[in-house]
Amino acid sequence: MLGYIASRAFRALVTILLVLTFAFFILNATGDPAILILSADAPPEAIAAFREEWGLNAPLWKQYLGYLWNLAHGELGRSMRDGRDAWAVVSERIPVTLAITIPALIIKLVIGISAGIIAALWRDTWIDRLVMAFSVTGYTVPSFVLGLGLMLVFAVQLGWLPAAGADSWRHAILPIVTLGVAGAAVLARFTRSAMLEVLGQPFIRTGLAKGLVWRAVVIGHAFPNAAIPTLTIAGFMIGSLVAGAVVVESVFAWPGVGRLLVSAVGNRDLMVVQAILLLVTVTMVSANLIVDIVYGFVDPRLRTARGGLARGGT
Amino acid sequence: MSDAALPSTEVETSGRRRFFRAWPPAVLLALAWIACIALVSIFADWLKPYDFMALDLRDRLAEPVFMGGTFRHLLGSDELGRDVLSRLIESVRMSLVIAFLSTLIAAAIGVSLGFLAAHFRGWIEQVILGAIDFMAAIPFLIIALAVLAFFGNTLTLFILLMGMHGWERIARITRGLAIAAKEQGYAAAASEIGASPFRVYGAHILPNIASTLIVAMTLNIPEVILLESGLSFLGLGVQPPLTSLGNMVGYGREYIQTAPWILLSPAVVIILTTLAVSVVGDWLRDRLDPTLR
Repeated sequence: MLGYIASRAFRALVTILLVLTFAFFILNATGDPAILILSADAPPEAIAAFREEWGLNAPLWKQYLGYLWNLAHGELGRSMRDGRDAWAVVSERIPVTLAITIPALIIKLVIGISAGIIAALWRDTWIDRLVMAFSVTGYTVPSFVLGLGLMLVFAVQLGWLPAAGADSWRHAILPIVTLGVAGAAVLARFTRSAMLEVLGQPFIRTGLAKGLVWRAVVIGHAFPNAAIPTLTIAGFMIGSLVAGAVVVESVFAWPGVGRLLVSAVGNRDLMVVQAILLLVTVTMVSANLIVDIVYGFVDPRLRTARGGLARGGT
Repeated sequence: MSDAALPSTEVETSGRRRFFRAWPPAVLLALAWIACIALVSIFADWLKPYDFMALDLRDRLAEPVFMGGTFRHLLGSDELGRDVLSRLIESVRMSLVIAFLSTLIAAAIGVSLGFLAAHFRGWIEQVILGAIDFMAAIPFLIIALAVLAFFGNTLTLFILLMGMHGWERIARITRGLAIAAKEQGYAAAASEIGASPFRVYGAHILPNIASTLIVAMTLNIPEVILLESGLSFLGLGVQPPLTSLGNMVGYGREYIQTAPWILLSPAVVIILTTLAVSVVGDWLRDRLDPTLR
C-alpha cells in the first residue's frame, strides 16, 4: 500500500511541475509582459524600467529557475498590475468561491447519486426516463445558458431573487443551484450506468440465489462495487471546487477566483494567472491523488495491479 | 379478400416498427436539426436578411415577432440595431466551423499519436501515454484561458487551441485499436508484401477502425461547441466584430432585463445543437461500436 501511494504521489508531483513549466514557457515566451502591460506605445524608458524591475532582461531559463526558486520558498510573485502579492490577491477570493461551490457539491452528490441509483433500480420505468431526460439536459445545456435562464425566470420575471452580485446569502442561491443542477445531471448518469453494470454481474445473482433479500444484495454487494467509478467523477468534482465556477461566477458577477482569473487574463496579469494555475492544478491533482488512494482501500485489486505490490503491503 | 388483406397490414406495421426501432424518432429529429443547421451555415450568405454587422439605429432593441414586434426584424434587433436573425445565422456558421475544424485537428493529432504509439511501442509509447494522462489531468479551460490571454486572440489560434481538446481520448482509442489490428492477418499480410508502415496504417488499418473513430469524433463535437461558446461568452473566444453563439449570449447578458430575446435564440440553438449531436453520437455508438459504451 505504501508503494502504491508513493508512486501515485510521485506522478502527482510530476504533473504539477509539468503544468507549471508548460504555463511558464507558454506565458513568457509568447508575449513581452512589459509591452502587454504598458502598451506598445509607452515611452521606451518606461518599458526598460519595467523590464528591469521585473527581471525580464534575464534569459528565459534564468527567469524560470528564479520562478521555481521563489515558488519553493512560498513566493508566487507580485501582481504586475498593482504590485500586491499575487498569492494574497488570489487567496482572498478562495472563500468567496467555496461559499458557492461547496453547497453546490453537496447538492451534486446527494441528488446526483440518489437519482442515479433510483434510475438504475427502477430501470425502464418512467422514473428512469425522467432521470435520464434530466441528465441529458444537464449534459447539453451549457452552464451559462442554465444560469441566465434561471436568472431570467427567478430574478427578472418573478423578482424573487437578486440577479447578480454578492451582497447577501440570497445572491448565492442562483449560482449554487446552477452549479448543483449541472453537476447532479452528470453524476446521475455515471451512477446509473455504474449501478446497471454491477447489477448485471453474476455475484448479484449468486447473492439472490443464496437467499439474500433484494435490499441486502443492493446495499451489501451492488453499492460498494458501483462506488468505484462514481468516486472518480466525484473526485474530479472536488478537484474543481476552486476553479469549476469560472463561467457561473461570470454569469452572476460573483467575485470569486473564476472572476479574478477572467479579469487577470483580460489585464494580462501574468503572476496572478500563474498563481491561479498553480492553485487549480494543485487542488485537482491532489483530489485525484486522494481518489487514487481511496481506490486502493476500497478496491484491493487496484493496489496489486498498479502499485506493483503483489502481497502484503500495509 | 378481407382475410388476405390482414397479414399485409400486419407486415406493414411491423415493418414500420422495425424502421422506428432502427431509426428512433429522437434520432430522426436530431438528424433533421443537424441537417437544418448545416444547410443554414452553408447558405448563410443567402439566408441572412441583413448584413450581420449592419446597424439600424432607428430600430434598436426591436422586439421579435413572437413578442409583438414587426417582421422587419424577425427575431428582434439588439442595442445597436443589428438584426438578431442575421447574427444568429452568422454565429451558427462560425460555431459549427470551429467545432468541425477543431475536431478534425484533434482527430489528426490523436490518430497520428495513437499510431505512433502502436507502431513503435517502447519509450515512444510511454511518452505518448504520459502526454495522454497529462492532458486528462490538467484543467483545460483554465490553460486555454491563459494561452488566449498571452498569445493574443486570433481565429486561427483559437481553432488550433480548441483542437487541443479531446485528442487524448482519440489517441487512446486509436492506440488500442491499432495494436489489436496489427495482430490481425490483413495488416501483417500488407507489410509482408512490402507495404510501407504509412501504407499499412493509412490504407489498411485506418479504414478498419474508422467507424469507432467517427463515433469518438461525433461525441467530441458537442464538447467543443460548449467549450467554444463558454469561452466566447466570457469574451475570450471569438472576438468582435466576428460573432459566435456564445458571443451573442454573452452580449445579450447585459440586456437580460430589457431585451431578453438577444440571448434567447442563440441559447436555444446551442442547446438544440449539442443535444442533437449527442443523441446522434450515442445512437451511432450503439449501432457501430457497442464496445465504446
